[in-house]
Amino acid sequence: MSDPTILILASLAEGDKHGYAIMEDVRAFAGVRLGPGTLYGAITRLEERGWIRAVKSEARRQPYRITAEGSLELKRQLALFGQVVRIGNRRLKEA
Amino acid sequence: MRTLLRWAARLYPEAWRERYGAEFDALLTDISPSFGDVCDVLGGALRARLTSPANLSLETAAGSSMTVRLPVVVSLTAHAVLLVFVLAVAVHYVTPAPPRVFGTPAPPPTPDPPPTVTDARVFPSALTLYSSLPLAPTKSEVLPLYVANGVGINFLTLPDIGALYRRGDAEWRVWPGQALESFIVRRVLPEYPRNATSAGAVSVFVEYLIREDGSVKVLRTAGPALFTNSARWAIERWRYRPLEFENRPCQVVSRIEVRFDGAFVRHETP
Repeated sequence: MSDPTILILASLAEGDKHGYAIMEDVRAFAGVRLGPGTLYGAITRLEERGWIRAVKSEARRQPYRITAEGSLELKRQLALFGQVVRIGNRRLKEA
Repeated sequence: MRTLLRWAARLYPEAWRERYGAEFDALLTDISPSFGDVCDVLGGALRARLTSPANLSLETAAGSSMTVRLPVVVSLTAHAVLLVFVLAVAVHYVTPAPPRVFGTPAPPPTPDPPPTVTDARVFPSALTLYSSLPLAPTKSEVLPLYVANGVGINFLTLPDIGALYRRGDAEWRVWPGQALESFIVRRVLPEYPRNATSAGAVSVFVEYLIREDGSVKVLRTAGPALFTNSARWAIERWRYRPLEFENRPCQVVSRIEVRFDGAFVRHETP
């Protein structure tokens, strides 16, 4: 669950955020501090894939918004993680 | 640390900086930077360079377009140049082994000739055995006499500096007293013998050895025993700084004239 792209998508699922806000939100809900290089590396990849897009803003802090494709990818990833979590928990109980 | 971060951010590709530079700079302003962040930005810049969409289009001979990433081209070129340089250095560094020669062995190298002495006075080729010369004043030069209370010292001139002096198995070099003046640490003047009856001037000659530690040993004396005993007693209390020749401790022999003149003696009254 330390993949920064999933963490950023999960953060933007709540609403538009700029880089620093994403960094603080991820730290709050996942306990992971994304470094500036890691954060913007992931933002670059997400934007290239069309999963997020920049929102028009006059401020230097550029907010980002999750796209429909991004939401779909997040749901797919969360479903996969959910499956892993369920199976893992069941196997722990059986052991 | 923030300056370092901004410097690291400059390593991102230009296209990336045009797109994200302003907001990335705003982020760097917001955070409390750490050394880990600097490494993180450096890593991000490297990844961005390796995966940068800033492409270089090369036209192939067939006219079709081949897309090659600029950082990859630069990296490959740099590595190729470096490899060629390392190979060139390695080829020149390895010294080829000398060819094996079969047959008669080469003659041994001839030793270097002995050094040439340019000053004939220093270590002359025909060494004078000073130990065989009579102990007497030289006539070549009159040296100033150091007089104090009827006793004077006259360093005898020695024409051959560094000439050989042999005594038994020992061999020393001869050195004039003037040349040793700067090495003397303590000098004791002989006293005019109290029981001497002669009122005139009496000269005695003393030949002495300066040992490696700077102490003095009288080798020979010439003159009336009453006066030579006084001169020997004083001169054996002289002290020189240790002498060196060719950076090695050495012992040298010198000669001195001691002149006793009763006319200048001031006898102390008890």
